Amino acid sequence: MSPGAPEQRYFDDAELGDEFEESYLARPELVATYLSVSRGNAELNEEDGRFSDAAGAQALGLERPIVPGVMSLSIITRLVTDWAGPAGRLRTLDANFRRPVLHGDRLRLMALVTDASDESGAGRVTLDIYLENERGERPLQGTAVVELPHRPS
Amino acid sequence: MIGVEHELGSFTVTEEAIASYCEALGETNPLYLDEEFARATSYGGRIAPPLIFTTANFRGTGPDPQVEYGNARFLGGERVEVLEPMRPGDTITAYGQVTEVYEKTGRSGKMVFVVRRTRYENQNGRDVALVDSSMVHREIEA
Repeated sequence: MSPGAPEQRYFDDAELGDEFEESYLARPELVATYLSVSRGNAELNEEDGRFSDAAGAQALGLERPIVPGVMSLSIITRLVTDWAGPAGRLRTLDANFRRPVLHGDRLRLMALVTDASDESGAGRVTLDIYLENERGERPLQGTAVVELPHRPS
Repeated sequence: MIGVEHELGSFTVTEEAIASYCEALGETNPLYLDEEFARATSYGGRIAPPLIFTTANFRGTGPDPQVEYGNARFLGGERVEVLEPMRPGDTITAYGQVTEVYEKTGRSGKMVFVVRRTRYENQNGRDVALVDSSMVHREIEA
């Protein structure tokens, strides 16, 4: 198996109440890498300042620059897709952003199985998902639905 | 303007974009990074991480509901429906529409919400993702 390959998760093994988590440190250079994908070589504009520099953030009353909301969503998605394994399929994500993730925040990426149903052969599992920072706040929370294969008999 | 779909632009899912996106997230899943591994899966080859479209930058394009309130705007919520995998080399075109604009007053004061739906379509005319996002406009004291 390739290094970094997540284990395959099977619908038969998903139990209500199962919890899993990973961690992520929102280092400024990782935010810069994410922004470089979207902005390419274009210079960051005024609105991007809140994601990249202290002055831009402070102009909005923020203590430190923040992580783009869509990057936070991508971070929690990584937890879900890695848990589901290569044959698992992410179907939906529904997230609310309650407060910003700040540069340097150490995040717990957490998920809890809240429902599992077998619909026309596809095992659908619903997860509560959230990010929690070291201050005990939850900047993002929501739900995800994944389809998992059945364990081969 | 409400409910009228506009083309926002296109982007190509490049090898570099996948690599940088994975690096930014600490993602090492070989489904996105290792062709040999991915070929042996049900996908038959590498795919892109499902939310790679979040890096597409179509700012300034599409319908503008001309909200003239607040000095700041933040993403309040997002609902994503993943329909088909995107693969390296795919060209994805985004189509956007404003679906709702409404006002709400909470403990922190008045907020104006702009809800948009973006549909991402691949070069074969198939929808790969639908996204409903809610942008909050509000006044913030620095």
